[in-house]
Amino acid sequence: MMLAAFAQPVFDSQRTFRELLQAMARPALPRTLPIVPPAPAPIAPAAMAILLTLCDSATSVWLQQPDEEAMRHLRFHAGVKLAQRPEEADFALISDPGSMPALDVFARGDLRYPERSASLIIQVAAIQSPAAGKGGSQFAGPGIRDTATLHVEGLHADFWPQRAALAEQLPLGIDLYFVAAQQLACLPRTTRRLEG
Amino acid sequence: MNYNFAFLDEDTKRMLRRALLKAVAIPGYQVPFGSREMPLPYGWGTGGIQVTAALLGPDDVLKVIDQGADDTTNAVNIRRFFARVAGVATTEHTADATLIQTRHRIPETSLRENQILVFQVPEPEPLRTLEPREAETRSLHALADYGLMHVKLYEDIAQYGHIATSYDYPVLVDGRYLTSPSPIPKFDNPKLDQSPALMLFGAGREKRLYAIPPYTRVESLAFEDHPFEIQRWEQQCELCGAGESYLDEVIVDDHGKRMFVCSDTDFCGQRRAEASA
Amino acid sequence: MYVAVKGGEQAIARSLELLAEARRGDPALPELELAQIREQLRLGVARVMQEGSLYDEELAALAMRQAAGDMLEAIFLLRAYRTTLPRFGYSLPLDTSSMRVRRRVSGTFKDIPGGQVLGPTYDYTQRLLDFDPTAPAAVTPATAPLPSQMPRVLDLLDAEALIERFAPGDDAEPFDLTREPLSFPADRATRLQNLARGDEGFLLGMAYSTQRGYAESHPFAGEIRMGEVDVLVCPEELGFAIEIGSITLTECQMINQFQGGNGVPPQFTRGYGLSMGEGERKAMSMALVDRALRCDELGEASYAPAQNQEFVLSHSDSVEASGFVQHLKLPHYVDFQAELSLLRTLAAQQSATPNEQPLSTAGEQ
Repeated sequence: MMLAAFAQPVFDSQRTFRELLQAMARPALPRTLPIVPPAPAPIAPAAMAILLTLCDSATSVWLQQPDEEAMRHLRFHAGVKLAQRPEEADFALISDPGSMPALDVFARGDLRYPERSASLIIQVAAIQSPAAGKGGSQFAGPGIRDTATLHVEGLHADFWPQRAALAEQLPLGIDLYFVAAQQLACLPRTTRRLEG
Repeated sequence: MNYNFAFLDEDTKRMLRRALLKAVAIPGYQVPFGSREMPLPYGWGTGGIQVTAALLGPDDVLKVIDQGADDTTNAVNIRRFFARVAGVATTEHTADATLIQTRHRIPETSLRENQILVFQVPEPEPLRTLEPREAETRSLHALADYGLMHVKLYEDIAQYGHIATSYDYPVLVDGRYLTSPSPIPKFDNPKLDQSPALMLFGAGREKRLYAIPPYTRVESLAFEDHPFEIQRWEQQCELCGAGESYLDEVIVDDHGKRMFVCSDTDFCGQRRAEASA
Repeated sequence: MYVAVKGGEQAIARSLELLAEARRGDPALPELELAQIREQLRLGVARVMQEGSLYDEELAALAMRQAAGDMLEAIFLLRAYRTTLPRFGYSLPLDTSSMRVRRRVSGTFKDIPGGQVLGPTYDYTQRLLDFDPTAPAAVTPATAPLPSQMPRVLDLLDAEALIERFAPGDDAEPFDLTREPLSFPADRATRLQNLARGDEGFLLGMAYSTQRGYAESHPFAGEIRMGEVDVLVCPEELGFAIEIGSITLTECQMINQFQGGNGVPPQFTRGYGLSMGEGERKAMSMALVDRALRCDELGEASYAPAQNQEFVLSHSDSVEASGFVQHLKLPHYVDFQAELSLLRTLAAQQSATPNEQPLSTAGEQ
């Protein structure tokens, strides 16, 4: 049986979008998604909220774990095109970050059109904003007043070095949405992870 | 027939929302978008209206200003439009608004983190008057080659002794993209720098939108020996006495007598209300 | 005591009342019926449909009445309505070779299979104002009915390989200008889409400029045909095409000279124009401008305005142009104040130091 999507599509997606917009505008600051719709595994409900809010027949979505039921659900509720390969994706859903492909596989845009780049929705174990000195990484960049501290749990060891390498190609890059339970935090391409 | 909430259909809103998120992720870069034909004329705020429509929800409180004033006819018309198609609450008070759509001004009252400012933009390309070809300006942005603009400003100094741009004064966002702040007076440029509020820009006819995220470095172009300066008046507002706000000059009689009043009508009104309280 | 101007809301309400009254005119006269507009002002209806990008005679008539006959306003009204309509699907490409022709003329051959068919045209009316219009005489029936299908003149030349060929199906999925922004360089399908929506007056002027030496292309009106064409759609769930109606179209195929080059033998080239309803001036202008815009592809020197695709495509749309030209009547007093303040500073500086002339730029000397 097919699961439902947003109960009130117009208003639920509007409220979700406003959180996404603030999350992207204020990187590394965890926010709570207002509505999380049902979602078939391996799609987390928070990721589903993002996909329903932003994706339709004009976007291609790549699933790291292309489960049949999940694909049917996405096609039915969002009408998305499913990308066969990660480099074709407008949006990529990473449901197992421990084994995700290298970041430089995804579209980074071109210098004349840097927005033609992938957005990654990464389902992680936890997102926290630890108090100073209690772990996590420090971030700086547009949208962050001074610095912000964020801990993302469940990424593989190469993730941050790969992302740091991409920063040399700015303004090309990819933009990240981390979700865990009902929590969301964004890292646009311009956010720098500080050493230490 | 019934229009969708906030006029635009959901596919169009999603298209706008995707473009807005990319705009925020690439500060100052003009994202092309599938601008729709709106029931108001191009050049009258269709870009700002589309951005506002993509943002707007039933809990929002909307303020619309033109030239700093809530009661100019085009501001009234846009506010009427959203009251009609979205049924949202509207306000004239900057502090009460969650969303502010503006043409040509940034409010004097400091904005907060939970407010969003939407600018109506007639010409998003700061280099357009220097290079009319879009294919060319796009390449210049790709290379961050802004020599044309520096030469223009330098020629102003050579000819007039000053940079002769008083509004729509170009800025560099996050040290990367040369960006039009829209035709705000350069008086308002400092408010773009490290703003607590997110600022979104929509150009409907030119089909571009862009963003300046909060707490982002925004520099007005200048030279070391010609630093950036904002407008100042010897006069104060004759209604509220403000000495630090942007002033409109009004001709009050047939002999050309002038008076100066705040351009930001809400700011001026609040000050007068406080003074009489 | 000065009071800041208030009352924008009330002013708008009053203005709308005045507009409604002015639009209606003398209430002693009957209101125009949409059917009258549709039937008696059909060329106006056609233009509004064409530039409004919506084939609906009834709505176009409504827009014309609401706009008090201002065609650009009517086009704007129709566009603003069109943008809210859901998109159920796309038709198959229209086949104008199977048009049920009511008018067809060719400037390139004295006679052609199916003949020259003048049909209803103003071309030979002598333009004398008719002060006493009476009911038209009954139309004289043709001695022989028109053939149900007429081959297109250019297809006849095509058989001889004297005109450039376009294989059907070579084109990529066309781009929808009403959903996605124009970017440059734009391919021909996108350019044609833009021209189809473009202002007739703008295209006419551009086309005229190509005839006066600004990108001369030695055009011949290979064929102009007008008539009805069936519209077919192929719903995915059906898997076969069904007819959903027919529309009136005017098609113009220009034949232009070409010297050969880029490895192509000398052959005629084409310019194409298509318009909804009877829109011959538009279709012909479009065909000339289309041909001029093909300069890069055909390896021609590009120097004239009509060959500059950024110039033509960015300024062809009447809704965009009209909005932006007229936005100058909105208040700009904040920016004007900024300019005043700057000029006063510059003037004060000059009078304070009269002997010190500002540096002139090299270009002015």
